[in-house]
Order: sequence, then structure tokens, then C-alpha cells
Amino acid sequence: MKRPVRVGAGEKLVLTANRLLDGRIVWRDHDGHWAARVGAAEKLDADAVSDVLEEAQARAQQDGVVGVYEVAVRDVDPPEPVTVRERIRAHGPTVHPEFSVEAGQ
Amino acid sequence: MNAPVGHYQYDQSDREFLAARIDEFSGQVTRRIDGSLSEDEFKPLRLMNGLYLQLHAYMLRVAIPYGTIDSQQMRMFAHIARRYDRDYGHFTTRQNIQFNWIKLEETPDILRDLAKVDMHAIQTSGNCIRNVTSDEFAGAAADEVVDPRVHAEILRQWSTLHPEFTFLPRKFKIAISGSPNDRVAARFHDIGILARSGADGRPVFRIFVGGGLGRTPIIGQEIFDAVPEERLLATLEAIVRVYNAHGRRDNIYKARIKILVQALGIDAYREAVEAELQQMDLEHYRLTPEMVDAIRARFAVPELSAPDNASQELSARRETNPEFDLWVRSNTHPHRDAGHIIAVVSLKPAGGIPGDATSAQMDRLADLADEYSFGELRITHLQNIVLGHVRQDRLYDLWQALKEVDLASANIGLIGDIVACPGLDYCALANARSIPIAQKLGARFGDATLQAEIGALRINISGCINACGHHHAGHIGLLGVDKRGEEFFQITLGGRAENGASIGTILGPALPEDDTVDAIARLVDCYLGIRQRGETFLDTLDRLGDVPFKEAAYETV
Repeated sequence: MKRPVRVGAGEKLVLTANRLLDGRIVWRDHDGHWAARVGAAEKLDADAVSDVLEEAQARAQQDGVVGVYEVAVRDVDPPEPVTVRERIRAHGPTVHPEFSVEAGQ
Repeated sequence: MNAPVGHYQYDQSDREFLAARIDEFSGQVTRRIDGSLSEDEFKPLRLMNGLYLQLHAYMLRVAIPYGTIDSQQMRMFAHIARRYDRDYGHFTTRQNIQFNWIKLEETPDILRDLAKVDMHAIQTSGNCIRNVTSDEFAGAAADEVVDPRVHAEILRQWSTLHPEFTFLPRKFKIAISGSPNDRVAARFHDIGILARSGADGRPVFRIFVGGGLGRTPIIGQEIFDAVPEERLLATLEAIVRVYNAHGRRDNIYKARIKILVQALGIDAYREAVEAELQQMDLEHYRLTPEMVDAIRARFAVPELSAPDNASQELSARRETNPEFDLWVRSNTHPHRDAGHIIAVVSLKPAGGIPGDATSAQMDRLADLADEYSFGELRITHLQNIVLGHVRQDRLYDLWQALKEVDLASANIGLIGDIVACPGLDYCALANARSIPIAQKLGARFGDATLQAEIGALRINISGCINACGHHHAGHIGLLGVDKRGEEFFQITLGGRAENGASIGTILGPALPEDDTVDAIARLVDCYLGIRQRGETFLDTLDRLGDVPFKEAAYETV
């Protein structure tokens, strides 16, 4: 069973997944749509995340995403994932700047 | 039949099998996309076809049986990189190639393109017998008893869709070498096989079992020292049967054969295998000379001929061009034919990504293979490319052509020849990035003269304990670890994968990335300061132990 994500002071949670068709990383926005940039992600309080997560997981096939889970982010604008792993997911591989999310790839 | 040099020639039945398999997977992809299959249902099916879901996209791992391809197949890799990926591919420590930016919906098309050149992605994932690896110098090395690729092909045909071995407790890796000198890390495989000469002129095989890296690194133990060729398949069948019957399935971390061999002891494991052999229909598994010869006939043999003065021409070139001489020293290996030489093309340019090649480089390598080496290329488990049969008088021209596409780094077996897994930049399992630290080390030690001065020293980097970068077997090993969401690297010293294999020992506490690079630099300086004449890094380490290196590495920490 997946361990709950630790949320520290000044941190929130966002939901992420991979798109089913191409595997690209997406983030759930305030309207329940999946966006390519972490900046669009809806920031959630720890006590509110389970209901949203459950709903997003239930709709995953319909929404064309796979592997929905929650990620801790610093509560800044745009949100910045806390761990190296999630920062790499959010922005792209560090060894190919031309493939970064910001570069529009 | 116009068989390719170095690998098996498919026939109609092979191609029909592949086509049927792709049609099956194409249907599964369609059902996944329309929701008829859930991700949980689909995952084992896509893995059986080499398709992973990684950090940023799907990743397709294509099998390169025994590491050998022809120029057409290399050009197909270039096409896939251009058409379906981001213009590059990554050659792995299991002699495969991975494409990192694949779309699920395009995967059947990719597999159909691969099938046009008799390639596929079967046995690159899942708990089956994986793609069999072999000696990168097979069929060319002067010390070889038999070309192991013929036997590797036999093992491929034996293991593909084997009804008993499709759902083993865990993945299962076999390596085979046709030389008594271990160039395949035989002792770090579930089964490692080394050939030597038998009394009747046919080869016999030393078999090691229960080796592996990963979370629990263990050196394989010799279970049989001289299995006759005709008993090879029966013996392997019995070894895997015992594992299949008794290997643990309750704990993924204890499911590999190495854990079972440790639990039973090698003598008890051998007894269990012998008991299994006694109740098997050995005639059914007998590998006759005729069968071996029939498979061998599907491999073309290069017609080696060179001018009488080929060696002298090479020597003359070396004398007048020190840069070329440096490259020849590190990047070639003796060939069994006096007029030929084996050339190793480094995929480790200073500051580059180990194992990566662009589509343009792949196309050029294919052209060079056609021009210089009978259209044959080998992918090494150290993430380089071998042209196996180069005429000595043409080596200089090859080197010049390699320089034009940035593939002439003179660093094979040296500190710049870094082995690294994709790490956290791509891999969903990784804890730390392997590539950036490899790039920093590669750049720091990029000078060819400095590398030659340092001598034989191999660095292996893994981004997690699964050890795809074989860090346990590195003379210097680096393991990426996650400390509260940040990357650190643990240093090990003294690993080696050849004859006399050993597992590196941990030097001290893990360090942040930049500190690790500095620590390695101090460690190398320490070696250069204390080595005796003619000593390699491992020689010095064996003589003095790790204390001076530990003091050097951690002196400012």
C-alpha cells in the first residue's frame, strides 16, 4: 500500500498522472482538467486531498490518464514539487534542456 | 540464403511468429485505449512486449540478441529515433536499446517497423528468461574456443515462449562467452556460461549459477565445470526448473535465483539439478552436433582477407600520429586473424551521456560497419559499439571517419568509459540522477592523455539499488541514494566483473553530487601518488586496502 505523502510546513498537495496515449506528465487543475504544466495544478490541503484523489482515480480512464497520485509542493506560485524526482517530472530531464516542459516539448 | 554476418537469419516461420505477436499486442493496445483493459490488466501485457511507463513517457526496450546487429537494423534504430522518438536512443548494460519518448498508440507501428528487419522487444521485461547476452568480441577474439552467438541463439529459441518459464518467480538473465576469459560478467548473472575446449574438439561449458547485482549482490558459484555441448540445454532446463519450483514468490526482494542458491547451498542446488536431470527425457533435450551446425549455418562467416603488409601499415600510421596511437592502445583488441583488429567505438564522449547515440550517429555507424566490418555491429554491456573485423591497414581511415561524428574518444577501459543507467532523469525506479554526475566526471577526466596516464579504471554509476549501472562491479562504483528527497552518492571501491569477480565495498558515508565528483578526483590523485610502477588502480587498492583512498576521499568533508 502506498504510504501517505508527508506534507511539511508551507507545503500543499497537487495531483499528477501520466497521459494514457503518450505517457506525458500532467497535473490536475482547479476544474478537474489535466494540464501539462505544474503551474496549472490545483493546490490542495492535506485533509482535502483524499476525496479529490479518489474521484480523479475513478475518472482516470474517462480522462485519458493513468497512475494518478498526490505530490507535495511548496505553496508558492507556481507550485514547486518538494522532491527532486517530482521536480524532474514537472520540468523534464535535466540532461536535455531542449526537452524541458518549459521549452514546450 | 544471404545470411547476415554475426547473427541468425530469420526464416518465414520466424517472421510469421513476429507478425502474429504484433497483431496480438496491437489488439491489446486498442483495448487498453478504449478502456476494455484496465492498466492493471494491461501492464503485464505491455511489459511482455518491452513497453514500460517511465517518468516522462513510455519507454520501449528493444532486444538485441547477444548484442549483435547488422547495418540495416542499426538504420532502423535511427529511423525509430527520428520518426517516433526525439532523435536518439540509449544503449543499455544488457546490450539492448531503449527509446525514451514513445507513444502508446504508436507502439504497434514501431514493432512493425522493427519486424521489417527481424527485430522485436520480446524478453526485454517481465519474469521470463531475458534476452541472452554475449561476448562483444565473439567470433573475432583470438582467445575464443567457439563463437558463443550460435549457442546464444539456441538459448534464445529455447527460452522464447518457453511454456514453463514465462512466469518465473522473477526475471532471469543468462550470459554466455565462447572464451575462458570472462568478458560477459558471467559470475554476476543468474546463469553464466564460459566455454572451453573439450577432449573431442567440441566445446564444453563451465556454468555459474546464482550470481547477480541489485539489492543483494552475490558472485555466482560454479555448479558444473564441464557440461558437454549435447547436455547444455538439458542442464539449463534443469537449473531453471529447480528455480521455478523452489524460488520464492512471496517476496519480490528474495525471488531471484541467487537467494535460492544461497538458501540451499551450491551443493544441494547441484544435487537438486542432478535429480531433475535423472527424471528428464534427456534425448528430447539433446543438442546434437547436427542441430548446432544447422543453427550455425544461419550465420554468415566473414571472409577475412588482408594484405600481407596490413600490420606494418597500421604500425606506420601509429608511429606518425600519436593521437591515433593513443586511440589504438585503448580502443582495439587483438583479432584471431593477423591482418584484422577489433575496434571499439566509445559512446562516452567527454561530458556526454553514456550509451546515447543520435540517429545521425547510428546511421553513420551503420555506414562504417558496411564499409569496414562486413555490415556487423555489436553493442557491449559497457555501452559501447564494436566493429569486430576491421582490416588493420584500414583502421586509420575508420578512426578518421569516427572523429567526424564525435565517436573517436580514446577511453575504452579508462576512467572516461563510464557506465551509467538512465537514472532519475528518466527512470521511475531511480532515487538519483546517474547521467549528470557521469557527465561531470567524464568532463573532469576527459583529456585522453590524462586517461592513459591513469590507466585501467572503470567507474559504474547506478541511480538506485537495482544496479542497472552495475555499480557493485565498478572499480569505483557510485550508487545514488535518496536522503529526504535529495540526491546523494555512496562510493564503493574494488568491484570487478571479469575472472576473479568481486563486489565493491562501501568507502564511507554518501556525499552530495558535487562533493562526490571532488572526492573521486582526490581519490584518483591519491592513486597516482602512491601507485608503484606498472600498477593499475585495482593493483594499488589490493596492495594497500582502501584506507588511503578513504582518507583522500573524505579529507575535507
